[in-house]
Amino acid sequence: MAEDRTLRPSPSPLWPGGPTFDEIDPSGAISEAADRIRSTTRGGLLKQAGAGATILLGLHTPAAGAAAPASQKRDRAILNYALLLEYLQASFYTEAERMRALKGALARQAQVVGAHERDHVRSLRAVLGGAAIGRPRFDYRGVTEDPSAFRDTAVAFEDLAVAAYKQQAPRVQSKRLLGALLSIHSVEARHAAWIRYLAGRLPAPDAFDEPMSQRRVVAIVDDTRFIVAPAKTSGKKRPRFTG
Amino acid sequence: MTITAPERRRLRRAAFVAGALVASAGVCVVVVSLLTTNRSHTSLPPPPRSALPLGRPTPLASDAHLARWAPVSAAAIARRAPDPSAPPVARLDTRTPEHTRNIVGLLGRTRGRGGRLWVRVRLAILPNGTSAWVPRRALGGYVFVHTRLVIDRRRLQAVLSRDGRVVFRAPVGIGKPAWPTPRGEFYVRDRLTSYRSPAYGPLAFGTSARSRVMTDWPAGGYIGIHGTDHPELLPGRVSHGCIRMANRNILRLGRLMPVGTPVIVR
Repeated sequence: MAEDRTLRPSPSPLWPGGPTFDEIDPSGAISEAADRIRSTTRGGLLKQAGAGATILLGLHTPAAGAAAPASQKRDRAILNYALLLEYLQASFYTEAERMRALKGALARQAQVVGAHERDHVRSLRAVLGGAAIGRPRFDYRGVTEDPSAFRDTAVAFEDLAVAAYKQQAPRVQSKRLLGALLSIHSVEARHAAWIRYLAGRLPAPDAFDEPMSQRRVVAIVDDTRFIVAPAKTSGKKRPRFTG
Repeated sequence: MTITAPERRRLRRAAFVAGALVASAGVCVVVVSLLTTNRSHTSLPPPPRSALPLGRPTPLASDAHLARWAPVSAAAIARRAPDPSAPPVARLDTRTPEHTRNIVGLLGRTRGRGGRLWVRVRLAILPNGTSAWVPRRALGGYVFVHTRLVIDRRRLQAVLSRDGRVVFRAPVGIGKPAWPTPRGEFYVRDRLTSYRSPAYGPLAFGTSARSRVMTDWPAGGYIGIHGTDHPELLPGRVSHGCIRMANRNILRLGRLMPVGTPVIVR
Protein backbone atom coordinates (compact mmCIF):
# COMPACT_ATOMS: atom_id res chain seq x y z
CA MET A 1 0.00 0.00 0.00
CA ALA A 2 1.22 3.44 -0.86
CA GLU A 3 1.02 4.86 2.64
CA ASP A 4 3.28 2.20 4.10
CA ARG A 5 6.59 3.88 3.53
CA THR A 6 9.73 3.49 5.49
CA LEU A 7 10.08 4.56 9.11
CA ARG A 8 13.51 5.94 8.27
CA PRO A 9 12.93 8.78 5.82
CA SER A 10 16.44 10.24 6.06
CA PRO A 11 19.53 10.25 8.26
CA SER A 12 18.67 13.78 9.41
CA PRO A 13 17.32 14.42 12.92
CA LEU A 14 13.73 13.39 13.55
CA TRP A 15 13.06 16.98 14.59
CA PRO A 16 15.23 20.10 14.82
CA GLY A 17 17.92 19.45 17.40
CA GLY A 18 16.59 15.96 18.10
CA PRO A 19 18.20 12.57 17.60
CA THR A 20 18.44 10.78 14.29
CA PHE A 21 16.67 7.51 13.74
CA ASP A 22 20.03 5.74 14.01
CA GLU A 23 20.41 7.08 17.52
CA ILE A 24 17.05 5.89 18.76
CA ASP A 25 17.18 2.65 16.81
CA PRO A 26 20.84 1.62 17.07
CA SER A 27 20.09 -2.03 16.36
CA GLY A 28 18.10 -1.15 13.25
CA ALA A 29 15.27 -3.36 14.41
CA ILE A 30 12.54 -0.76 14.02
CA SER A 31 13.53 0.23 10.53
CA GLU A 32 14.05 -3.39 9.60
CA ALA A 33 10.50 -4.07 10.69
CA ALA A 34 9.22 -1.17 8.62
CA ASP A 35 11.24 -2.21 5.59
CA ARG A 36 9.81 -5.69 5.75
CA ILE A 37 6.26 -4.42 5.87
CA ARG A 38 6.96 -2.18 2.90
CA SER A 39 8.80 -4.65 0.72
CA THR A 40 6.53 -7.63 1.15
CA THR A 41 3.71 -7.32 -1.35
CA ARG A 42 0.33 -8.94 -1.12
CA GLY A 43 0.99 -10.73 -4.43
CA GLY A 44 4.18 -12.19 -3.13
CA LEU A 45 2.43 -13.39 -0.05
CA LEU A 46 -0.31 -15.06 -2.05
CA LYS A 47 2.28 -16.94 -4.10
CA GLN A 48 3.80 -18.26 -0.93
CA ALA A 49 0.50 -19.21 0.63
CA GLY A 50 0.89 -22.69 -0.77
CA ALA A 51 3.95 -23.24 1.35
CA GLY A 52 1.59 -23.63 4.27
CA ALA A 53 3.69 -21.59 6.66
CA THR A 54 1.42 -18.81 7.74
CA ILE A 55 1.38 -19.38 11.45
CA LEU A 56 3.93 -17.55 13.55
CA LEU A 57 4.55 -20.46 15.82
CA GLY A 58 8.12 -20.75 14.65
CA LEU A 59 8.95 -17.10 15.23
CA HIS A 60 10.83 -17.68 18.42
CA THR A 61 12.70 -20.71 17.18
CA PRO A 62 16.16 -20.52 15.62
CA ALA A 63 14.73 -21.92 12.40
CA ALA A 64 12.69 -18.76 11.92
CA GLY A 65 15.60 -16.76 10.62
CA ALA A 66 16.55 -15.89 7.08
CA ALA A 67 14.82 -18.98 5.72
CA ALA A 68 11.41 -17.91 7.05
CA PRO A 69 8.77 -17.37 4.36
CA ALA A 70 7.93 -13.79 3.41
CA SER A 71 4.54 -14.08 5.11
CA GLN A 72 6.21 -14.88 8.42
CA LYS A 73 8.71 -12.07 7.97
CA ARG A 74 5.93 -9.66 7.27
CA ASP A 75 3.86 -10.83 10.21
CA ARG A 76 6.93 -10.48 12.41
CA ALA A 77 7.46 -6.94 11.17
CA ILE A 78 3.86 -6.07 11.99
CA LEU A 79 4.31 -7.57 15.44
CA ASN A 80 7.40 -5.44 16.02
CA TYR A 81 5.49 -2.36 14.92
CA ALA A 82 2.76 -3.24 17.41
CA LEU A 83 5.43 -3.81 20.05
CA LEU A 84 6.82 -0.32 19.48
CA LEU A 85 3.38 1.20 20.12
CA GLU A 86 2.92 -0.97 23.18
CA TYR A 87 6.32 0.11 24.55
CA LEU A 88 5.28 3.72 24.09
CA GLN A 89 2.04 3.22 26.01
CA ALA A 90 3.36 0.86 28.69
CA SER A 91 6.24 3.19 29.62
CA PHE A 92 3.85 6.14 29.64
CA TYR A 93 1.40 4.59 32.11
CA THR A 94 4.20 3.08 34.19
CA GLU A 95 5.88 6.44 34.62
CA ALA A 96 2.54 8.09 35.41
CA GLU A 97 1.82 5.53 38.11
CA ARG A 98 5.30 5.82 39.60
CA MET A 99 5.32 9.61 39.65
CA ARG A 100 2.05 9.56 41.63
CA ALA A 101 0.81 12.84 40.23
CA LEU A 102 -2.62 11.47 39.29
CA LYS A 103 -5.56 11.13 41.63
CA GLY A 104 -8.95 9.40 41.67
CA ALA A 105 -10.43 7.98 38.48
CA LEU A 106 -7.47 9.05 36.38
CA ALA A 107 -5.00 7.27 38.69
CA ARG A 108 -7.17 4.15 38.54
CA GLN A 109 -7.27 4.32 34.74
CA ALA A 110 -3.46 4.62 34.56
CA GLN A 111 -3.04 1.71 36.93
CA VAL A 112 -5.41 -0.65 35.10
CA VAL A 113 -4.49 0.32 31.55
CA GLY A 114 -0.78 0.31 32.42
CA ALA A 115 -1.10 -3.28 33.61
CA HIS A 116 -2.77 -4.20 30.31
CA GLU A 117 -0.14 -2.47 28.19
CA ARG A 118 2.70 -4.15 30.08
CA ASP A 119 1.04 -7.48 29.43
CA HIS A 120 0.71 -6.67 25.73
CA VAL A 121 4.45 -5.95 25.69
CA ARG A 122 5.23 -9.19 27.48
CA SER A 123 3.05 -11.25 25.12
CA LEU A 124 4.42 -9.69 21.95
CA ARG A 125 7.99 -10.12 23.18
CA ALA A 126 7.31 -13.74 24.03
CA VAL A 127 6.10 -14.47 20.49
CA LEU A 128 8.88 -12.50 18.80
CA GLY A 129 11.64 -13.98 20.96
CA GLY A 130 15.05 -12.89 19.72
CA ALA A 131 13.47 -10.93 16.85
CA ALA A 132 11.79 -8.46 19.21
CA ILE A 133 12.98 -4.86 19.00
CA GLY A 134 14.49 -3.41 22.16
CA ARG A 135 12.68 -0.94 24.37
CA PRO A 136 13.43 2.62 23.24
CA ARG A 137 14.15 5.39 25.74
CA PHE A 138 11.31 7.80 26.41
CA ASP A 139 11.13 11.33 27.70
CA TYR A 140 7.52 12.27 28.42
CA ARG A 141 8.60 15.84 29.25
CA GLY A 142 6.49 16.25 32.35
CA VAL A 143 3.27 14.98 30.75
CA THR A 144 3.03 12.13 33.28
CA GLU A 145 3.22 14.68 36.11
CA ASP A 146 0.35 16.87 34.94
CA PRO A 147 -3.17 15.31 35.12
CA SER A 148 -4.56 17.46 32.33
CA ALA A 149 -1.64 16.80 29.97
CA PHE A 150 -1.67 13.13 30.89
CA ARG A 151 -5.37 12.82 30.05
CA ASP A 152 -5.03 14.49 26.66
CA THR A 153 -1.97 12.40 25.77
CA ALA A 154 -3.66 9.19 26.88
CA VAL A 155 -6.66 9.96 24.63
CA ALA A 156 -4.28 10.52 21.72
CA PHE A 157 -2.29 7.34 22.44
CA GLU A 158 -5.34 5.10 22.74
CA ASP A 159 -7.04 6.48 19.63
CA LEU A 160 -3.73 6.07 17.80
CA ALA A 161 -3.30 2.47 18.91
CA VAL A 162 -6.85 1.57 17.85
CA ALA A 163 -6.33 3.09 14.40
CA ALA A 164 -2.88 1.50 13.99
CA TYR A 165 -4.09 -2.00 14.89
CA LYS A 166 -7.05 -1.56 12.57
CA GLN A 167 -4.69 -0.82 9.67
CA GLN A 168 -2.28 -3.70 10.29
CA ALA A 169 -4.48 -6.52 11.56
CA PRO A 170 -6.12 -7.32 8.19
CA ARG A 171 -2.65 -7.54 6.62
CA VAL A 172 -1.51 -10.31 8.91
CA GLN A 173 -1.33 -13.68 7.18
CA SER A 174 -1.54 -15.94 10.20
CA LYS A 175 -5.13 -16.45 11.37
CA ARG A 176 -3.96 -17.21 14.87
CA LEU A 177 -1.99 -13.98 14.93
CA LEU A 178 -4.93 -12.08 13.50
CA GLY A 179 -7.10 -13.33 16.34
CA ALA A 180 -4.46 -12.28 18.86
CA LEU A 181 -4.09 -8.81 17.38
CA LEU A 182 -7.85 -8.35 17.31
CA SER A 183 -7.98 -9.30 20.97
CA ILE A 184 -5.54 -6.47 21.68
CA HIS A 185 -7.32 -4.11 19.30
CA SER A 186 -10.66 -4.42 21.09
CA VAL A 187 -8.99 -3.82 24.45
CA GLU A 188 -7.31 -0.70 23.08
CA ALA A 189 -10.74 0.46 21.92
CA ARG A 190 -12.07 -0.03 25.46
CA HIS A 191 -9.13 1.97 26.80
CA ALA A 192 -9.89 4.71 24.30
CA ALA A 193 -13.55 4.83 25.34
CA TRP A 194 -12.60 4.92 29.03
CA ILE A 195 -10.11 7.76 28.79
CA ARG A 196 -12.35 9.70 26.39
CA TYR A 197 -15.14 9.47 28.96
CA LEU A 198 -12.77 10.75 31.69
CA ALA A 199 -11.73 13.58 29.39
CA GLY A 200 -15.37 14.59 28.89
CA ARG A 201 -15.39 13.49 25.26
CA LEU A 202 -17.77 11.14 23.49
CA PRO A 203 -16.45 7.61 24.03
CA ALA A 204 -17.71 6.54 20.59
CA PRO A 205 -18.04 9.62 18.40
CA ASP A 206 -18.45 7.87 15.04
CA ALA A 207 -20.32 4.89 13.62
CA PHE A 208 -17.20 3.75 11.78
CA ASP A 209 -13.53 4.14 12.71
CA GLU A 210 -10.85 4.81 10.14
CA PRO A 211 -7.54 2.93 10.14
CA MET A 212 -4.30 4.92 10.18
CA SER A 213 -1.23 4.17 8.09
CA GLN A 214 2.11 3.34 9.65
CA ARG A 215 3.61 6.44 8.11
CA ARG A 216 1.00 8.68 9.72
CA VAL A 217 1.28 6.94 13.09
CA VAL A 218 5.07 7.28 13.10
CA ALA A 219 4.81 10.94 12.12
CA ILE A 220 2.48 11.58 15.06
CA VAL A 221 4.75 9.71 17.47
CA ASP A 222 7.73 11.69 16.15
CA ASP A 223 5.87 14.94 16.73
CA THR A 224 5.53 14.15 20.41
CA ARG A 225 9.35 13.89 20.76
CA PHE A 226 8.75 11.26 23.39
CA ILE A 227 11.23 8.78 21.85
CA VAL A 228 14.75 9.94 22.61
CA ALA A 229 18.30 8.75 22.26
CA PRO A 230 19.57 6.97 25.37
CA ALA A 231 21.78 9.13 27.60
CA LYS A 232 25.43 8.27 27.03
CA THR A 233 26.49 7.39 30.55
CA SER A 234 29.38 5.09 29.57
CA GLY A 235 32.77 6.21 28.39
CA LYS A 236 36.32 5.15 27.69
CA LYS A 237 38.24 8.07 29.10
CA ARG A 238 40.88 7.38 31.71
CA PRO A 239 39.27 7.86 35.13
CA ARG A 240 40.40 10.82 37.22
CA PHE A 241 38.77 9.69 40.43
CA THR A 242 40.74 10.01 43.65
CA GLY A 243 41.93 6.43 43.34
CA MET B 1 -82.84 -16.57 13.93
CA THR B 2 -82.10 -16.82 17.59
CA ILE B 3 -79.14 -18.63 19.19
CA THR B 4 -79.90 -20.46 22.37
CA ALA B 5 -77.64 -20.29 25.40
CA PRO B 6 -76.22 -23.86 25.01
CA GLU B 7 -75.43 -23.15 21.36
CA ARG B 8 -73.66 -19.92 22.35
CA ARG B 9 -71.48 -21.87 24.84
CA ARG B 10 -70.61 -24.46 22.15
CA LEU B 11 -69.64 -21.74 19.72
CA ARG B 12 -67.42 -20.04 22.35
CA ARG B 13 -65.71 -23.38 23.11
CA ALA B 14 -65.12 -24.00 19.41
CA ALA B 15 -63.62 -20.52 18.97
CA PHE B 16 -61.35 -21.07 21.99
CA VAL B 17 -60.12 -24.44 20.64
CA ALA B 18 -59.45 -22.90 17.23
CA GLY B 19 -57.47 -20.04 18.84
CA ALA B 20 -55.44 -22.46 20.94
CA LEU B 21 -54.60 -24.50 17.82
CA VAL B 22 -53.40 -21.39 15.96
CA ALA B 23 -51.25 -20.28 18.95
CA SER B 24 -49.68 -23.74 19.26
CA ALA B 25 -48.83 -23.73 15.59
CA GLY B 26 -47.14 -20.34 16.01
CA VAL B 27 -45.07 -21.57 18.93
CA CYS B 28 -44.01 -24.61 16.93
CA VAL B 29 -42.89 -22.41 14.04
CA VAL B 30 -40.82 -20.24 16.38
CA VAL B 31 -39.21 -23.23 18.11
CA VAL B 32 -38.35 -24.90 14.81
CA SER B 33 -36.89 -21.68 13.48
CA LEU B 34 -34.77 -21.22 16.62
CA LEU B 35 -33.53 -24.79 16.44
CA THR B 36 -32.60 -24.31 12.82
CA THR B 37 -30.72 -21.10 13.63
CA ASN B 38 -28.82 -22.71 16.50
CA ARG B 39 -27.84 -25.61 14.31
CA SER B 40 -26.33 -23.20 11.79
CA HIS B 41 -24.34 -21.51 14.61
CA THR B 42 -22.95 -24.73 15.92
CA SER B 43 -21.84 -25.60 12.43
CA LEU B 44 -19.35 -22.64 12.38
CA PRO B 45 -15.71 -23.62 12.89
CA PRO B 46 -14.21 -22.87 16.32
CA PRO B 47 -11.94 -19.79 16.54
CA PRO B 48 -8.23 -20.43 16.03
CA ARG B 49 -6.05 -20.68 19.12
CA SER B 50 -4.37 -17.35 19.84
CA ALA B 51 -0.79 -16.97 18.67
CA LEU B 52 0.00 -14.83 21.71
CA PRO B 53 0.52 -16.26 25.16
CA LEU B 54 -2.41 -14.49 26.78
CA GLY B 55 -1.47 -13.59 30.30
CA ARG B 56 -2.87 -11.50 33.06
CA PRO B 57 -2.48 -7.76 33.56
CA THR B 58 0.91 -6.98 35.04
CA PRO B 59 0.57 -4.71 38.06
CA LEU B 60 3.62 -2.68 39.04
CA ALA B 61 5.89 -4.16 41.64
CA SER B 62 6.27 -2.25 44.89
CA ASP B 63 8.41 0.83 44.47
CA ALA B 64 9.79 0.66 48.00
CA HIS B 65 13.25 0.02 46.55
CA LEU B 66 12.90 2.24 43.52
CA ALA B 67 15.22 5.18 42.76
CA ARG B 68 14.80 7.72 39.98
CA TRP B 69 17.34 9.63 37.94
CA ALA B 70 17.36 11.82 34.87
CA PRO B 71 20.01 13.04 32.44
CA VAL B 72 20.72 16.75 32.32
CA SER B 73 19.59 17.68 28.82
CA ALA B 74 20.22 21.44 29.06
CA ALA B 75 22.63 23.38 31.25
CA ALA B 76 20.76 25.05 34.08
CA ILE B 77 21.17 26.82 37.38
CA ALA B 78 20.16 24.71 40.35
CA ARG B 79 18.41 26.93 42.90
CA ARG B 80 17.62 26.85 46.57
CA ALA B 81 13.87 27.02 45.91
CA PRO B 82 11.57 26.24 42.94
CA ASP B 83 11.65 29.78 41.70
CA PRO B 84 13.73 31.45 38.95
CA SER B 85 14.60 34.26 41.37
CA ALA B 86 15.71 31.96 44.21
CA PRO B 87 19.43 32.03 45.13
CA PRO B 88 21.60 29.81 42.91
CA VAL B 89 23.24 26.74 44.42
CA ALA B 90 25.30 25.44 41.51
CA ARG B 91 25.51 25.36 37.75
CA LEU B 92 24.33 22.08 36.31
CA ASP B 93 26.31 21.03 33.24
CA THR B 94 25.24 18.49 30.67
CA ARG B 95 28.53 16.59 30.85
CA THR B 96 30.62 15.02 33.57
CA PRO B 97 34.41 15.47 33.78
CA GLU B 98 34.62 12.07 32.04
CA HIS B 99 32.63 13.49 29.09
CA THR B 100 29.63 11.29 29.74
CA ARG B 101 26.11 12.69 30.07
CA ASN B 102 25.65 14.29 33.46
CA ILE B 103 22.81 12.82 35.48
CA VAL B 104 21.06 13.77 38.72
CA GLY B 105 19.21 11.75 41.33
CA LEU B 106 15.57 12.78 41.71
CA LEU B 107 14.23 13.57 45.17
CA GLY B 108 10.91 15.35 44.60
CA ARG B 109 8.95 17.75 42.44
CA THR B 110 6.59 20.66 42.74
CA ARG B 111 4.87 23.35 40.72
CA GLY B 112 6.48 26.76 40.91
CA ARG B 113 5.26 30.15 39.91
CA GLY B 114 3.13 30.09 36.76
CA GLY B 115 2.54 26.35 37.12
CA ARG B 116 6.03 25.52 35.92
CA LEU B 117 7.30 22.11 37.01
CA TRP B 118 10.45 21.99 39.19
CA VAL B 119 12.39 18.95 40.32
CA ARG B 120 14.50 18.65 43.48
CA VAL B 121 17.72 16.85 42.62
CA ARG B 122 20.74 15.50 44.42
CA LEU B 123 23.86 17.31 43.20
CA ALA B 124 27.42 16.07 42.70
CA ILE B 125 28.98 19.02 44.51
CA LEU B 126 30.52 19.90 47.85
CA PRO B 127 29.31 19.83 50.50
CA ASN B 128 28.22 16.25 49.86
CA GLY B 129 24.49 15.69 50.14
CA THR B 130 23.55 19.06 48.65
CA SER B 131 20.20 19.13 46.89
CA ALA B 132 18.58 21.94 44.89
CA TRP B 133 15.73 22.69 42.48
CA VAL B 134 16.00 22.68 38.69
CA PRO B 135 13.33 23.28 36.03
CA ARG B 136 11.90 20.02 34.71
CA ARG B 137 12.65 21.13 31.15
CA ALA B 138 16.41 21.00 31.88
CA LEU B 139 16.16 17.25 32.43
CA GLY B 140 15.61 14.36 30.04
CA GLY B 141 13.46 11.27 30.50
CA TYR B 142 13.17 9.71 33.91
CA VAL B 143 14.89 6.38 34.50
CA PHE B 144 13.98 4.00 37.33
CA VAL B 145 16.44 1.64 39.00
CA HIS B 146 15.75 -1.12 41.48
CA THR B 147 19.30 -1.51 42.79
CA ARG B 148 21.08 0.02 45.78
CA LEU B 149 24.73 -0.24 46.79
CA VAL B 150 25.73 0.04 50.44
CA ILE B 151 29.37 0.58 51.40
CA ASP B 152 30.01 -0.39 55.00
CA ARG B 153 33.17 1.43 56.10
CA ARG B 154 33.43 -0.50 59.37
CA ARG B 155 33.11 -3.96 57.81
CA LEU B 156 34.97 -2.89 54.64
CA GLN B 157 32.26 -4.45 52.53
CA ALA B 158 30.12 -3.54 49.51
CA VAL B 159 26.60 -4.99 49.29
CA LEU B 160 24.38 -4.59 46.24
CA SER B 161 20.67 -5.35 46.53
CA ARG B 162 17.96 -5.49 43.90
CA ASP B 163 14.38 -4.93 45.06
CA GLY B 164 15.68 -5.37 48.60
CA ARG B 165 17.35 -8.73 47.94
CA VAL B 166 21.15 -9.00 48.23
CA VAL B 167 22.66 -9.98 44.87
CA PHE B 168 26.33 -9.06 45.39
CA ARG B 169 28.74 -8.82 48.29
CA ALA B 170 32.48 -8.12 48.16
CA PRO B 171 35.33 -6.89 50.39
CA VAL B 172 36.53 -3.39 49.56
CA GLY B 173 39.30 -0.92 50.15
CA ILE B 174 38.29 2.57 51.30
CA GLY B 175 40.10 5.85 52.02
CA LYS B 176 42.95 6.13 54.49
CA PRO B 177 42.16 8.10 57.64
CA ALA B 178 43.80 11.20 56.10
CA TRP B 179 41.68 10.90 52.93
CA PRO B 180 38.45 9.34 54.16
CA THR B 181 35.72 8.00 51.92
CA PRO B 182 32.87 10.44 52.61
CA ARG B 183 29.79 9.20 54.39
CA GLY B 184 26.36 9.96 52.90
CA GLU B 185 23.88 9.20 50.12
CA PHE B 186 25.13 9.43 46.55
CA TYR B 187 24.46 7.85 43.15
CA VAL B 188 26.41 6.17 40.36
CA ARG B 189 27.01 8.83 37.73
CA ASP B 190 28.79 6.99 34.94
CA ARG B 191 30.69 3.89 33.94
CA LEU B 192 34.13 3.78 32.31
CA THR B 193 35.76 0.86 30.54
CA SER B 194 38.53 0.11 28.03
CA TYR B 195 40.87 2.79 29.40
CA ARG B 196 44.59 2.22 29.93
CA SER B 197 45.18 2.57 33.64
CA PRO B 198 45.87 -0.61 35.63
CA ALA B 199 45.51 1.28 38.92
CA TYR B 200 41.75 1.55 38.26
CA GLY B 201 41.33 -2.06 37.09
CA PRO B 202 39.17 -2.99 34.09
CA LEU B 203 36.09 -0.97 35.04
CA ALA B 204 35.34 2.16 37.06
CA PHE B 205 32.06 3.70 38.19
CA GLY B 206 31.98 7.44 38.83
CA THR B 207 29.82 8.59 41.73
CA SER B 208 28.35 11.89 42.86
CA ALA B 209 30.51 11.78 46.02
CA ARG B 210 33.48 14.12 46.37
CA SER B 211 36.44 14.04 48.70
CA ARG B 212 36.34 16.81 51.29
CA VAL B 213 40.15 16.91 51.41
CA MET B 214 41.33 16.02 47.88
CA THR B 215 39.70 19.07 46.34
CA ASP B 216 42.75 19.90 44.21
CA TRP B 217 42.70 16.46 42.58
CA PRO B 218 42.21 16.59 38.78
CA ALA B 219 38.53 17.03 37.89
CA GLY B 220 37.72 17.98 41.48
CA GLY B 221 38.32 14.84 43.53
CA TYR B 222 35.33 12.67 42.67
CA ILE B 223 35.03 9.32 44.41
CA GLY B 224 34.98 6.27 42.15
CA ILE B 225 34.26 2.58 42.58
CA HIS B 226 36.81 0.60 40.63
CA GLY B 227 39.20 -2.33 40.33
CA THR B 228 42.85 -2.35 41.38
CA ASP B 229 46.30 -3.60 40.49
CA HIS B 230 47.00 -4.23 44.19
CA PRO B 231 44.35 -6.75 45.27
CA GLU B 232 46.60 -7.91 48.12
CA LEU B 233 45.77 -4.70 49.99
CA LEU B 234 42.05 -5.54 50.18
CA PRO B 235 40.12 -5.27 52.37
CA GLY B 236 41.60 -2.23 54.05
CA ARG B 237 41.86 1.53 54.44
CA VAL B 238 44.22 1.99 51.57
CA SER B 239 42.90 4.51 49.04
CA HIS B 240 42.68 8.27 48.54
CA GLY B 241 38.93 8.04 49.09
CA CYS B 242 37.82 5.78 46.24
CA ILE B 243 36.23 2.39 46.80
CA ARG B 244 38.44 -0.35 45.43
CA MET B 245 37.61 -3.98 44.88
CA ALA B 246 39.22 -7.00 43.22
CA ASN B 247 39.01 -6.92 39.44
CA ARG B 248 36.83 -10.01 39.25
CA ASN B 249 34.42 -8.37 41.70
CA ILE B 250 34.23 -5.04 39.87
CA LEU B 251 33.50 -6.93 36.66
CA ARG B 252 30.72 -8.84 38.40
CA LEU B 253 29.37 -5.60 39.84
CA GLY B 254 29.49 -4.11 36.35
CA ARG B 255 27.04 -6.74 35.18
CA LEU B 256 24.63 -6.09 38.04
CA MET B 257 24.68 -2.38 38.80
CA PRO B 258 23.20 0.14 36.37
CA VAL B 259 24.10 3.82 36.25
CA GLY B 260 21.84 5.83 38.56
CA THR B 261 22.01 3.27 41.38
CA PRO B 262 21.94 4.97 44.79
CA VAL B 263 25.17 4.52 46.78
CA ILE B 264 24.94 4.72 50.56
CA VAL B 265 28.27 5.04 52.39
CA ARG B 266 27.99 4.48 56.11
